[in-house]
Amino acid sequence: MPRPGFVLDVDERTPPLLVNQGEGFRMQKFPLGTKVIYPPDALPGVKDAHGEIRRALLHPLGDSKPLPELLFSGMKLTIAIDDISIPLPPMRTPDIRQRILEHVIEMAARAGVEDVELIVATALHRRMTAREIRRMVGERVFRSFWPDRLSNFDAEDRDALTDFGTTDKGEEVEISKRAAESDLIVYVNINLVAMDGGHKSVAVGLAGYRSLRHHHNVHTMLHSTSYMDPREGRSAINDSVNRMGRKLSDDGVKVFQIETTLNSDTFPSNMGFLNKREWEWSMADQGLMMAAKKMNDVAPPRARRDFFRRIEAPYKVTGVNAGEVEAVHARTLENLHRQQLVEVQGQSDIAIFGIPYLGPYNVNSILNPILVHCLGLGYLFNMYRNKPIVKQGGVAILYHPVPWEFNQIHHPSYIDFFEEVLAETTDPKTIETKFEERYATDPWYIHLYRTSHAYHGVHPFYMWYWGAHGRDHVGDVIFVGGEPKSVARLGYRRADSLRDAIEMAKDTVGSTPSITYFHAPPIMIADVR
Amino acid sequence: MGARDELREMASGFRWGRRPMVPRSAEPYVEEADDEGFPTDWARTKAGTFARQMILNGVMDPLHRSQIALRVYGVDALDDVEGPVIFYSNHSSHLDATLIMCSMPDRWQRTTAVGAARDYFFDVWWRQAFTALVYGGFAIDRAKGGTGAIDKARELVLDGWSLVVFPEGTRSPDGHMQRFRHGAARLALECGVGLAPVAIVGAYQAMPKGRLWPRPGRPPVTVRYGDVLYPQEGEPHQELSRRMQQAVAELFDEDRSTWFDAVGRAERGQTPSLAGPQGPSWVRTWEGTRPVPRRGKPRVWE
Repeated sequence: MPRPGFVLDVDERTPPLLVNQGEGFRMQKFPLGTKVIYPPDALPGVKDAHGEIRRALLHPLGDSKPLPELLFSGMKLTIAIDDISIPLPPMRTPDIRQRILEHVIEMAARAGVEDVELIVATALHRRMTAREIRRMVGERVFRSFWPDRLSNFDAEDRDALTDFGTTDKGEEVEISKRAAESDLIVYVNINLVAMDGGHKSVAVGLAGYRSLRHHHNVHTMLHSTSYMDPREGRSAINDSVNRMGRKLSDDGVKVFQIETTLNSDTFPSNMGFLNKREWEWSMADQGLMMAAKKMNDVAPPRARRDFFRRIEAPYKVTGVNAGEVEAVHARTLENLHRQQLVEVQGQSDIAIFGIPYLGPYNVNSILNPILVHCLGLGYLFNMYRNKPIVKQGGVAILYHPVPWEFNQIHHPSYIDFFEEVLAETTDPKTIETKFEERYATDPWYIHLYRTSHAYHGVHPFYMWYWGAHGRDHVGDVIFVGGEPKSVARLGYRRADSLRDAIEMAKDTVGSTPSITYFHAPPIMIADVR
Repeated sequence: MGARDELREMASGFRWGRRPMVPRSAEPYVEEADDEGFPTDWARTKAGTFARQMILNGVMDPLHRSQIALRVYGVDALDDVEGPVIFYSNHSSHLDATLIMCSMPDRWQRTTAVGAARDYFFDVWWRQAFTALVYGGFAIDRAKGGTGAIDKARELVLDGWSLVVFPEGTRSPDGHMQRFRHGAARLALECGVGLAPVAIVGAYQAMPKGRLWPRPGRPPVTVRYGDVLYPQEGEPHQELSRRMQQAVAELFDEDRSTWFDAVGRAERGQTPSLAGPQGPSWVRTWEGTRPVPRRGKPRVWE
C-alpha cells in the first residue's frame, strides 16, 4: 500500500527542500520547526483501464441505465469533453479521454446512432487548437469527427445557447443548444481536483457568461471556503453550480456522466526526483536535480519554456465511474481523497507555497502575473478542507519570479486588465463593479475569443476573483524573488530570500511565527483539523 | 547564490560523504515487537569481556594517552562500593565513554556496559559490532522515551552489570551541560542501585562534536569520579536527577578549585552552574571552547 501523505517537522537532519518557482526550482533550507506537508505517494493505477471503462459504462451508478440501453437509432447524442486545462501537466498519450470516447462512440455506432456531435467544453476558456484536440481525443476520433462534428464550445454564439430560466435563487441557466436539445449528453471528465466534475461539467463547461457570472463573482468566492471542499454549505460556488445542474436535470436534460480519477504520478522518470521526498533522493537524483537546475538557470527563456511544455505526466487511472451525475461524483471524490488528502494538525502563522510553471490556464502558454496570483492564492491556498493552512490574518509567502510577460494570443484581455484595471485598484469588489461588464461585452475580445485562441474578455476578472478568498484571509502576501514592478502591480510585497520574507512577515504575525510549507505539486488537499 | 555556494549547501544538507540521515519525523514507525535490534549479549560473555579488556587496555588507553594529556582522579571513591552502579557523566565528546571505561578499576571494567543511542551506534552492522565489543554496548532508544527506552538497561542491572550512561541524551553542541533526562534516575530508583558521578573536563575542547580525532597538541582532559549517590526512599526521579546534576557540577567545581572549597560552596548553594552563559549560541560556544589550563609547569614552547 502506498504511503499516505504526512507532515514533516524540519530538524537539523532535514536536507534543503525543493521549492517550485515558475519555470525552475530551488533548494531551500527551512527554519527548524517548519512543518512541511507532503502528498501521499502515488496510488497504483487500475490494471486494465479498458476493462474498467467497460465496467463503468455497463454498470452505472445511481438511477442511470447502462449506456448501451440509453443509445438508440435516430437519437441525438452529444458528447462533451473537458478541455486542455486538465490534467496538469498534460497526460502522456493515450489520454484517458480518448480511451473513453472510443468506447462510447463504439457503443453508439453499434446502436445505430448517427447524429453524434463532440463538443470540447471550454466555457470561456480559449479554443483549443486542432493539434491539441487531436492529441486529446486520438487520431481515430479526430479523423472521424473534426471539424464538422467535433468543435470547441462557443459561449458567444447567442443562437447556439438555450435559456432554461432561473434557479430558485435567481441564477440564470443557459447552456449549449445542441447539448440541451440532445436526447443524451455524455460528459467525459477528468477529475484532477475536488472542484472539478459533478454538475460543474455541464452547467459550467457548456455555459455562457450570462450564466457563469452568477457563481464566478467576488461574493461567491468569498463564501467558498474552500473551493476544494464541495460539501453542501462549504462552497458557495459549488452550491450554485449544483442548483443549476439540478435545474437542468429537472427540465429534462439527460446527462450520462463519466468521471475519471488519476494518481499523483505527475512527473516523468527523467524528473523523478520531483515525485520523491528529498531525504530519499539517491546520489543520482541529487546529481540530476543539480544538472537540471543549472541547465535551467542558464537556458534562454524560450528554451526553458519549451522544456517545461514538453513535460507529460505518466498518470495512471485510479478509477472510472459513470452514470447519474451526483452518484458518480460522490464516488469520484472518494477516489480523489484517497489520493490527495493529508491530515494536518492546526493552522500556522505563515504558509509557504512554491508556484509551479503550470496552471489550468497556461497550458502551452505563459503563466502571466494574474495567473500567478490565481495559482497561488486561488488554487494552492484553497487546497484545504475545514480550515486554511494559514491562520486568519497570517502571511502567505509565495515563490515565483512573476515576470511581466503575457501571451498575446491567449491572454489579450489579461494585458489590458493588468495595465488598466490593476493600475487603478486591486480590490476585487471595486474591479467587479467598475470594469467587469465592459470587458465581458467588449466586441474585440469577443471576436478574439470566437475566432482566435483567446480567453474571453472577462476571464482575467475571474482569475482575480479566484484569489479573493485567499487575499481576504491573509494579512500579507510576500513573493520571494518576484519582479518588483509586477509584484507591486498585483498589490503585494517582495523579498529576495526566505529569510527576508520571514523577517517582513514578523511585522504581521509576531516574532515567533509558526511556519508551514505546502510541498506541492503533486496535488494534494490539506485536511486541517 | 553562486554555483559554489549551491554545491556547498547541497553537500552539507545531503551529508555527502557521510551517513545519510532521515529527518526524525520522517523515520518509519517500527513495531516494538519487531525491533529486537542487534544482539549484544555475546559481548558480555567471558570471552567477550576478555576481548574487550584487551582492546580497552591494550589499544584504546595507550592510543588516548598518546593523543591527550589524561588525568584521572577520585577512583578511590569506588573502593568500598558494592556493584552494580550506574556511572553517569556530562557528555560533550565521543571520547567520553572510552575515557570512563579505560579509567575505571579493573573489577568495574569487567562488569560494566555502556548505553549507546540506537539511532547512532546501532545503525550499521560494523558500528553495532564495534560498540558491542569495545564497550559491551547496549542500545538505548532515544526516540521511545519513558521507561520503554531503558528495558535492556534494567535487564542488565538486575543481572549484576554496572552501566555507563549519559543522561543528557546526546553530546553537547557547545560544551556546556544540557538538562538531564530522567531515564537514569528512574532506573536507579526502580532497581535500587547507586549512581556514580563522573565529570569529564576538557573533552569538548579536545574533540568536540564534529571531530573524529582529538585536536593536535595533546590537549588536557581530566576524568574525576565522585562519591556514589543512592536514591532515597520515596524520592521523585526529578529530585534525583537534580542531585545527579549537582554532583557533577561539584566535581567540576572541585576540578577548578579544591575539594575543600568546592564542598564549602556546595554547602552554601554556590556551586557554579554548568548550564553555561545565557545569550546567543555563539556566546555559549565561545565560552565552551575556552581552553582548559594545563596543570603543572608550563611547557617550554608554550
